[in-house]
Amino acid sequence: MDAKLKETILNPIFKGNPITVLVLGICSSLAVTVTMKGALVMALSVIAVTGISSLILSLLRNTIPSRVRIIVQLVVVAMMVILVDQILKSFEATYAIDKQLSVYIGLIITNCIVMGRIEAFALGNKPWPSFLDGVANGAGYGMILIIVAFFRELLGSGTLFGVDILNWLGYVPNNLVILPPFALILLGCIVWVQRSIQKDLQEK
Amino acid sequence: MNTNSNTYTIIYTTIIVTLVAAILAFVSQGLKAKQEANEKADTISQMMTAARFATKAELQKMGNTAVLAKYAEEIENAFTVNMDGKKVADLELDQVFSPKELKKQNYKIKDGSDAEIPVFIFKNGVTVVPVYGAGLWGPVWGYIAFEPNSNAIKGAYFDHESETAGLGAKIKDDPEFQAEFNGEKADFSNANVFDIVKGGAPKNADGTSIIDNKIDAITGATMTSNGLDAAIDTWLGAYAAYFGATTAKSEDCCREGDSCEEDMSCCEDKKTEEE
Amino acid sequence: MEYISLFVKSIFVDNMIFAYFLGMCSYLAVSKNVKTAAGLGVAVIFVLFVTLPINYLLNKYVLAPDALIKGVDLSFLSFIIFIAVIAAIVQIVEMVVEKFSPSLYSALGIFLPLIAVNCAILGGSLFMQQKDFANVGESAVYALGSGIGWFLAIVSLAAIREKMAYSKVPAPLKGLGITFITVGLMAIAMMTFMGISL
Repeated sequence: MDAKLKETILNPIFKGNPITVLVLGICSSLAVTVTMKGALVMALSVIAVTGISSLILSLLRNTIPSRVRIIVQLVVVAMMVILVDQILKSFEATYAIDKQLSVYIGLIITNCIVMGRIEAFALGNKPWPSFLDGVANGAGYGMILIIVAFFRELLGSGTLFGVDILNWLGYVPNNLVILPPFALILLGCIVWVQRSIQKDLQEK
Repeated sequence: MNTNSNTYTIIYTTIIVTLVAAILAFVSQGLKAKQEANEKADTISQMMTAARFATKAELQKMGNTAVLAKYAEEIENAFTVNMDGKKVADLELDQVFSPKELKKQNYKIKDGSDAEIPVFIFKNGVTVVPVYGAGLWGPVWGYIAFEPNSNAIKGAYFDHESETAGLGAKIKDDPEFQAEFNGEKADFSNANVFDIVKGGAPKNADGTSIIDNKIDAITGATMTSNGLDAAIDTWLGAYAAYFGATTAKSEDCCREGDSCEEDMSCCEDKKTEEE
Repeated sequence: MEYISLFVKSIFVDNMIFAYFLGMCSYLAVSKNVKTAAGLGVAVIFVLFVTLPINYLLNKYVLAPDALIKGVDLSFLSFIIFIAVIAAIVQIVEMVVEKFSPSLYSALGIFLPLIAVNCAILGGSLFMQQKDFANVGESAVYALGSGIGWFLAIVSLAAIREKMAYSKVPAPLKGLGITFITVGLMAIAMMTFMGISL
């Protein structure tokens, strides 16, 4: 694999992470980080949507009339999101999770990561790198979701993926961790850790 | 080619939109049967959890087909009643009330028009009825199972759309909360048919729950508990006429003492004495 | 009375930012000073107030099962219809404002394109569908309340961030990190409204 392609994949996961560095796509996601299962399904859904819609729009990139560019992007992204939603609803294993994620799956449409990567990358690059860029950005986003969900489920319910980890030790689950505000505080801490390591990201 | 001309733009957008609509319609039609089967199996397994045939997790593990088969095996009779307790129509085996239909009936109950609400009677005599209402963030609903011809609750199961996980969501996820309903008695003669009490329901000296129409609310989830309480009152209130015919007599005396028998003999005796 | 209850609830209890994290991207990006924050806030109120009732009517008379033709359920199209309505309305509003009120346009104009992809707007429509309002008036009140809630949230964060510029924040926490934590603390404060009964 050549260096540029590798950079395309690795950059969004650490140095250019969509959530902690570019501050994109926080909207639709934090509410689903109460359990690991929800976060994982959300992460996979976003990866599928970013990857495939980047691929489709990159294939179409030379034919799209520039005036209706945004509309065409929205239509393609919305189509992908509806497909993901419909597919999740159809399998016995994922039906319950789709019920739990409810409106947040729909909100992937307005997840700035999807539109942002299409505008910034897919419309100017070949299909294969665009697909990888979409997947990598989805993965960078998913990684943060899963880190947040790890702490919230462990401290808030004493479990991971619904399996008891702390409760049998007599741990009393902390309700604050489950409430929405804690997700933001946790995210602040993740940014703190990341910027302590990568000093060049610090703001003046 | 000039991709900026008006004709091109219009034709292009039309093609894209039609294509997308066609794909979506095709997929949605193709998957519809599966989605409906999932929803139905989910509803049935909620009713069967309430009637305590198995836990929700066990039913989920069995898979849709097995759940439907077990339901077909256990169900005796299902029909709808109106708010005067009169039977309206029989329900087919594959007719269960999904939350969507419960929502429609919920409106009708509230504005006093002719609601048709379902009653499911299983072969062991257990009667299951649904409840539906608003929680903190979205709808909450569930199923309450009664012992044969009685106001004694056998079990309950609740579900919700978007209550706070770990707090309000406990109505669904916490088997201990649902188990609190077991053995309690609904008071159909009262507008407050059942009470979910914030700060704890009165207890016996040894800490066991008194058999009455009160249970403890979920700590930290007052709004969800209140919403569920209102949902239960509204719906069981609508069933009051139906249940009233068979159970009203047992009501008065059973609340007075703790030594109420499972059968209704004590109540019958007392009634005769009073007369 | 129900309208007032819904209005207050949608501002404080169901706050788009603090309870649902909706519209977070632009919330964090445009909250560096009070003036621009207020501009974006007003634009959000306006667009929510216009799009939500329209989407409500579309949802009720076109998308809901059996609404258009008996036996046809178009609800799978709701995401795409809602987002199309929002994008179209934003475009129309932008053109109208530009034509009739250049001064308002220069104040509001740059925010309007941002709004089409603001999750709070689509979120409003999706919650409207989920909450199942009884009539168009309720949906309009909900839209207004949610918009005002969003406005209050962004203006107060911007005010805090203006002051925070003078504080000694540890270098790695500066900017984004401390903003996240501040929003978290604000959200905890807002949760005190959760118990109000109206």
